[in-house]
Amino acid sequence: MRAMIIDDSRAMRSILRRILAGLDFETLEAGNGREALDLFEAGQVPDLCLVDWNMPLMDGYTFITEVRANRDWRDVTLMMVTTESEQGQIVKALAAGAHEYVIKPFTPDAIVDKLELLGLVNREVLA
Amino acid sequence: MTAAPAITDVQAIVEQVWSSFLGEAEPLLPAPVAPGRAFPADDAWSAAVSISGGWDAAVTVELSTPLALSLTTTMLGLTADETAEGPLDADVADAVGELVNMIGGNIKSLMPGPSVLSLPAVAAGRAAHPSGAAEVARFDGVRAGQPVRVAVHVIPQP
Repeated sequence: MRAMIIDDSRAMRSILRRILAGLDFETLEAGNGREALDLFEAGQVPDLCLVDWNMPLMDGYTFITEVRANRDWRDVTLMMVTTESEQGQIVKALAAGAHEYVIKPFTPDAIVDKLELLGLVNREVLA
Repeated sequence: MTAAPAITDVQAIVEQVWSSFLGEAEPLLPAPVAPGRAFPADDAWSAAVSISGGWDAAVTVELSTPLALSLTTTMLGLTADETAEGPLDADVADAVGELVNMIGGNIKSLMPGPSVLSLPAVAAGRAAHPSGAAEVARFDGVRAGQPVRVAVHVIPQP
């Protein structure tokens, strides 16, 4: 299983990379939505994207709408991981095609819980 | 009347961010500083985010350089070899910027909206405040003897 971490903070990408590595994900990283789309267009299409909202060049919301506009990428699971916690923002992201939404700060367990809900992780197998 | 977050809410957010990413082995403890007194560290890093829309404000974080280095090492998962000469300034700026981003974003969610959160601005040194802004909430704390300050400044509207 391959995941792409899209966040302008190297520190946040590092935290998420360590969590995903513990779940046997192979990871790719991008510093903003534009960089992530460039990787998609170059054929580096992951199974899962963890997407921040506020980023330079292209924000996470725009990235999600771009991914959802391309039928070739419809199988990619999109999970927002962001400080944007206003109800309106959450509804907007889910309506645009995000499958799940995690608010920063989070614990590793919170990420695993969401991935389990999405059927991408099985705690019983991990244990 | 100017809307302001409760100091208890600001403290809860800071503690939650801190414990989520730095663990609870060395907790962040409240360490009040009298109003008007300077941040108790000469060598510091600072960061700010602005909030605009339904509520116009700025959130600043100041922390001593040893605390900023510790934060960076932990968030980036650096090994002892990698930290022999200390993290790079760019890494410290990244980690401190993410800290204010998380704190500012969660404070924004408590206030009238919708509002937009800016990207963080980070500096080696004390925080710059928007001209004319009034401090409406502040949390001073210490971790392992090192100080951190989170302040909320409301920007008056014409």
